[in-house]
Amino acid sequence: MARPMGSVRLKKANSSTLLLGAVLCIFIIIFLVSPSSPASAGRLSNIVSAQHHLSPPTSPYKSSRSGVQGPPPVTRYDLNKVTVTADPVKNQEHILILTPMARFYQQYWDNLLRLSYPHELITLGFILPKTKEGNQATAALQQQIQKIQNHGAEKDRFKSIIILRQDFDPAVVSQDESERHKLGNQKARREVMAKARNSLLFTTLGPSTSWVLWLDADIVETPPTLIQDLASHDKPVIVANCYQKYYDPETKKMAERPYDFNSWQDSETALKMAEQMGPDDILLEGYAELATYRTLMAYMSNPGSPKDLAIPLDGVGSTALLVKADVHRDGAMFPAFSFYHLIESEGFAKMAKRLGWQPYGLPNYKVYHYNE
Amino acid sequence: MMPRHHSSGFSNGYPRADTFEISPHRFQPRATLPPHRKRKRTAIRIGIVVAIIVLLIFWFGQPKSVASLISLGILSGYEDLKLETVRYYDLTNVQGTARGWEREERILLCVPLRDAEQHLPMFFSHLKNFTYPHNLIDLAFLVSDSKDRTLQVLSENLEAIQADADPKQPYGEISIIEKDFGQKVNQDVESRHGFAAQASRRKLMAQARNWLLSAALRPYHSWVYWRDVDVETAPFTILEDLMRHNKDVIVPNVWRPLPDWLGGEQPYDLNSWQESETALALADTLDEDAVIVEGYAEYATWRPHLAYLRDPYGDPDMEMEIDGVGGVSILAKAKVFRSGVHFPAFSFEKHAETEGFGKMAKRMRFSVVGLPHYTIWHLYEPSVDDIKHMEEMERERIAREKEEEERKIKEQQIKEEFGDANSQWEQDKQQMQDLKLQDQGSNKEAGLNQGAAAKAAGAIDGQKEN
Repeated sequence: MARPMGSVRLKKANSSTLLLGAVLCIFIIIFLVSPSSPASAGRLSNIVSAQHHLSPPTSPYKSSRSGVQGPPPVTRYDLNKVTVTADPVKNQEHILILTPMARFYQQYWDNLLRLSYPHELITLGFILPKTKEGNQATAALQQQIQKIQNHGAEKDRFKSIIILRQDFDPAVVSQDESERHKLGNQKARREVMAKARNSLLFTTLGPSTSWVLWLDADIVETPPTLIQDLASHDKPVIVANCYQKYYDPETKKMAERPYDFNSWQDSETALKMAEQMGPDDILLEGYAELATYRTLMAYMSNPGSPKDLAIPLDGVGSTALLVKADVHRDGAMFPAFSFYHLIESEGFAKMAKRLGWQPYGLPNYKVYHYNE
Repeated sequence: MMPRHHSSGFSNGYPRADTFEISPHRFQPRATLPPHRKRKRTAIRIGIVVAIIVLLIFWFGQPKSVASLISLGILSGYEDLKLETVRYYDLTNVQGTARGWEREERILLCVPLRDAEQHLPMFFSHLKNFTYPHNLIDLAFLVSDSKDRTLQVLSENLEAIQADADPKQPYGEISIIEKDFGQKVNQDVESRHGFAAQASRRKLMAQARNWLLSAALRPYHSWVYWRDVDVETAPFTILEDLMRHNKDVIVPNVWRPLPDWLGGEQPYDLNSWQESETALALADTLDEDAVIVEGYAEYATWRPHLAYLRDPYGDPDMEMEIDGVGGVSILAKAKVFRSGVHFPAFSFEKHAETEGFGKMAKRMRFSVVGLPHYTIWHLYEPSVDDIKHMEEMERERIAREKEEEERKIKEQQIKEEFGDANSQWEQDKQQMQDLKLQDQGSNKEAGLNQGAAAKAAGAIDGQKEN
């Protein structure tokens, strides 16, 4: 009997074999398809992602590979629906964490990753000077960002990240702590800092942000629930108490000391001093030359009193400062000039007050500053 | 697999029945299908199975992943991986220069709107005509507390522009931002421009402008252009014209056309001015929350206003340093806004909104400049007084026309009634003239008689002397 080779093989392929093959095929295809779908299309795609690169940078966008794009669509944003509430997680409120950065500290980044607020609701914004140090910090930052956004666990990835390079020179070349804190250098330094903060704020705020958290690049330790805790007070502007941990040679133990003196309640003395100053002079806190006798929040911490005690303030520091986006949208910014003889974050508190928003502070809620 | 060398067959696979058989290929009824048909059938079967599998997967809804599988990930499978979450911007690239269109500098065009439906057609006609490359202009609108169809008309018009067949028409990013501030302030001209309402109205306007800017400004913008929707006439090249001056903040002169009975034209925007000693002294006497507003008798500031310095034949490129700016048409470098200058919604150095913006920009040592002889024209909306006046004029006109009409009718009537009287008069006149002539004739005769009588008398006298 004539039995060519092809027929011989095919003769064995009866219907049951085919069925088995089909089942196997389905299995393989499902196996190939399934792992990619829930993971990569999942959490971040739930967030509104734009289709065009000309879109608010607070959201990711899908870039088309063809390169040629049509004109961007007409997009409507209803800011009446952007809520700012005491329970931001439940209401899925978007938060912008803004950090002017001169040096990159790994502890800062690790602490940022530990924040328990849903990362798919967090946009990070950084602004770095265009100096040698700034370049180094940018490189280090980008490396860490790559790691987390491309290879990190899905729940660790942030909604979007914006890196800006500032268009003006830093006032003081050295970022050393001693040089930085000299009284004479302060005004110029804080002017530049104010401009950096404003540049970062007004280009990234976008139409969907509910909260803005100002977190300085040298804050290395905060409670992981920082955002939820600060937001739960439902205050327009609220600041944590910034401390620094250090090794006490006397007790041979780690101890902590107050660090940020920009959060205060005003005093008669300070107001009188301000009256006598020239229009461009500023009052600074924490310098013996300028004894203002203001009530400093840094010294109000008391282990006995409740952790969630909130006190009204007249000046705020910006080390860990949570602001309702509405306050910034109304125009409250960081004055880079003498505003009621105040500058930067202290001037910001004053401006917020002028717009009818009262700042508060949490003397017993601590965050920790890097120690050099 | 069949053994290659069959013990009982030829190497070509045919059975070796009898070596000396003459015809090894005997006729035989076909037991199986010929191979080519068999292959075809198998191919069809496999095809059906694959089709079913694909359909099944489509049914359970993962078309994208399947498409990527089938196309081996070449076409679209990369989509998920290309979700861009990190963006890098160098702000030194967006400083704003005099010839921005050559460097492809992006402009953010901001337009605050409230109940502006009637002005939108005019605005869109301006929008179509801008000569600055449209793809470099991002549009941002804030629609607040509107009771008319502003929002719908706006989106329809914008969709139409973006879908325009002319590739030069569509604009860049377009955002329409809705936000209600619960404004009680009325938008009609009288309540808008009344003195008492000014301070709170200006603060609310400032708030709206800040919300718009903070939601729409991006790190890639070099310029920000503020434009009111009710500008009637402006040069198409206004963006380039203002940009060429390369100033941080620059405004043109704003006038408005008027009906002839009001003088034909009038300065409109009085918020662009230079600071004066009087005004500074006045500011010192005022309360912390007071707002000085221009153009009202209550605050006599004696400031030189950009609007009043206009010379229709002056050099349009002439610049003038100013301290307060009007908001009808402001071109500013984005870095001004980035550094924190905004429209104070509180009393900043006794000013709010655009005037406060000018003051704050000055405070941060930015250049603020006005062009006194470069004019754009604001729409003329008659005020309540004007409307009253116009109504009065209209009434007067109607009354005058009526009077005229009545007079004509009267004349007609008189003509009709006394039409014969006229001819009677003529007749009488004629007769009178005739009479007069007759009279004259008899007079002559009488004269002649008199002469003759005199002669006769002389003759008698002569006779007497003789």
